[in-house]
Amino acid sequence: MLRDVSFEMHAGEVIALLGPNGAGKTTLIKALNGAKEAFAGSVELNSKPLASFSRREISRRIAVVAQENETKFPVTVLDFVLSGRFASGSAFGWESAEDINVANKALDECDLANFGTRLMNELSGGERQRVVLARAIATEAKILMLDEPTANLDLSHQGMMFRLIRERCDADGYAAVVIMHDLNLASEFADKVILLHRGSIFAFGTPENVLTEANIETVFGVRALLDVNPVTEKARITTVFSC
Amino acid sequence: MKRATLIFFSLAGLLAAAIAAALLIGSESISPFGLTEQGRAILFDIRMPRVFLGACVGASLAVAGASLQALLRNPLAEPYLLGVSNGAALGTLLAFVFLEGYGFARPILSFAGAGIATFAVYQMARSRAGMNVERLVLSGVIITTFLSSIIVLLTSVLDAARLRGYTFWLLGDLSQATYDGFYLTLAAATVGTIVLSSQARALNLMMVGERDAFDFGVEVGRVRMIVFAMSSLLVGTAVAASGSVGYVGLIVPHLVRLAIGSDNRLVVPMSAIAGAIFVVLADTVARTAIAPRELPVGAITALIGAPLFIYLLRRAN
Amino acid sequence: MAYGNRKMYFASLILALAAAMAVGACSQPKSAVTEANFVQVKDDLGRAVNVPGEVNRIVSLAPSITELVFAAGAGDKLVGVTSYCDFPAGAVSIRKVGDTQTPNVEAIVALQPQLVLVSTASQLEAFAEVLDRQKIGVYVVDVQGLEDVPKRIRKLGEILGTKIEADVAAGALTRRIEVVGSSIRTDAPPKVFVQISAEPLFTVGSGSFITQLVRHAGGESVTKDIATGYPKLSKETAAAMDPEVIVLSDSEDNREPNEVFRNSPAVRNGRVYRIDADILSRPGPRLVDAVEKLAEAFHGKGESGPVN
Repeated sequence: MLRDVSFEMHAGEVIALLGPNGAGKTTLIKALNGAKEAFAGSVELNSKPLASFSRREISRRIAVVAQENETKFPVTVLDFVLSGRFASGSAFGWESAEDINVANKALDECDLANFGTRLMNELSGGERQRVVLARAIATEAKILMLDEPTANLDLSHQGMMFRLIRERCDADGYAAVVIMHDLNLASEFADKVILLHRGSIFAFGTPENVLTEANIETVFGVRALLDVNPVTEKARITTVFSC
Repeated sequence: MKRATLIFFSLAGLLAAAIAAALLIGSESISPFGLTEQGRAILFDIRMPRVFLGACVGASLAVAGASLQALLRNPLAEPYLLGVSNGAALGTLLAFVFLEGYGFARPILSFAGAGIATFAVYQMARSRAGMNVERLVLSGVIITTFLSSIIVLLTSVLDAARLRGYTFWLLGDLSQATYDGFYLTLAAATVGTIVLSSQARALNLMMVGERDAFDFGVEVGRVRMIVFAMSSLLVGTAVAASGSVGYVGLIVPHLVRLAIGSDNRLVVPMSAIAGAIFVVLADTVARTAIAPRELPVGAITALIGAPLFIYLLRRAN
Repeated sequence: MAYGNRKMYFASLILALAAAMAVGACSQPKSAVTEANFVQVKDDLGRAVNVPGEVNRIVSLAPSITELVFAAGAGDKLVGVTSYCDFPAGAVSIRKVGDTQTPNVEAIVALQPQLVLVSTASQLEAFAEVLDRQKIGVYVVDVQGLEDVPKRIRKLGEILGTKIEADVAAGALTRRIEVVGSSIRTDAPPKVFVQISAEPLFTVGSGSFITQLVRHAGGESVTKDIATGYPKLSKETAAAMDPEVIVLSDSEDNREPNEVFRNSPAVRNGRVYRIDADILSRPGPRLVDAVEKLAEAFHGKGESGPVN
């Protein structure tokens, strides 16, 4: 259950959504996406209440990258990514050449250049994760909601994913909300951080302001040491697990 | 796309051939040239409505199966196994017993029975974690056996004379085909196939997950209602006309997917045609294998379907 | 528990068990007759059955058998019949013990009969053992056809101690059968279709005694060569049969001939006869009524409709 949550998002911003399990991160994303499950209050998109948009209109504007799920049906990677174009097409229609183009470009950007004809259930967890990201990109929606998008990815692809998001936000005016667990990645890539604790916003602001030793200790129950990454000059958090 | 068009036309051609063959084969041999009056009666009054009804029943059950599989995210979902056919059969039985005189009571109660059973299975099968094979098959088994026992209870109370015909029909029997029954099932099959094909893109998304579908713009609740309503309509009319013909909704969509993949925009309409072919052929066997006696067509589809189902189940694991 | 106490405990437990078993054994219902005067006979299937010398309490598990017992003059010895035993009038008031397929064994045992008469339609194995332990004999009655009916009645009369009445009844039936046999023309038997149910279409085949019945009444069943007793017939074959006479076994789902017969000589000439399903399908004394009515329909002045 979420309580007392209010914040604003602007184009070009990457917001990291942090907090312990059960704090309400996924629920918040669902609410932002228009799933009206049990919350009081309102979500506004471009200053209009979310409820006034149809499902299709919402999906043209907001794309979700959730945990990938297994499918028992033989679906090709390209078909999977193309399904992201649902909201921009007609109910029955076939995909246009443009749809296919967009889908292929999205696959390229996610380092999946020749994966189009492969079957989803033949891929590894990490590859599937990237296909899910490609689908979100293919929607051409400008607001991205990502739920632990790097869970299965190796280091190089983790970096790739965040660079992709960052680029989109900086160059094309996208905005993104990312649920993540890696505090350093948050510090590195996010413009703002929401620290969620027991359903409420514990802190909201820039990574330096939010990710203080005191806050981390209170919310996560873990001691942390703060210093500055000499290369990136961003805050660096080192957790101390005492035995 | 080109491959799909090719397969579509071959299937349509196969259907035409199957119907032609079925019209020419039977327990009595008639020659299409120089039809005697008796030959004419056999061809037009007996064989034609039966073969056409078989085609519509096959199409209805296959399309219902294909869309239920997409909705429930499980290639093993099927109206018969899920108890939907039994729900329809119970509805028909109630109409048969209590509303004898009313012609439309059968298909209407059959439709209602199918709808209630579909709803019950769905409610039982879903959980927080979503649906999985075991839960779905289990729910289906529970609903099927529960409904079966009610049917058995009712038939035990019925007069033995009327019972004999009913038990034959329960296994799927096209011998009571009439032109009226054919028109009704044709209408239902057409409406059902068109409506469900129109939802094909949404179903493609739902096949991956309700969450995914929702996120990408599908009105999940609405699509679910449409699939439930249409599959109940399809199964209801089919069962009211010919009893529970099992396994059609399972085998046919699966074979179609093996040939052309899982895109429902292709799978749904093609299942209709392939389902029609399947039942027309099965019924031809049913009425010639031990001629002049007849077998229930559901026995033939089960003979083919059950081993195939076991095979599919093992492959799925 | 101290060792000594445990011994006492188990000893009393065993004693209690033994006492319970003894009480249980004593409360078994005693057989209605003593072991002394039993006769061993062979029933209609050749099984050896122990029949008491004097039989006073019998149970019938088939409506046809009930009618045979009454015909043999032993109706007053019946203490239990099935729910479908509705003829003759005297059968209605007898205690009901289930039906042919699912008899209520407890109810049967509670009535303490000496003999249970079953037909070949009963699933013997299910309860034969139970009844055997109670010293209740199970006797199978198997009527092979019309001409076998008087023989069965005579045999029942012998076993049940009503030989005289049985012989008289059997003799009367035999005469009636002979009368029918001699009064019909056998050179041009009409082609007869016997319809058991209209939809789905069920008829009688080679395995049914009704086929012989039709022959004895001077007709020829068009389906006489089809295997099994009551086959479901293809409508096409039915349409090609052109029966001259249609006999409907009268029941709710069989009031009219099937649509496929609408151009048959039978329907066009109005030769459609309804016979009470009970007298047509029960292999008992009323089969003779049936053959008489059929003969009338085939050759006599019988008009279409209920043959009565």
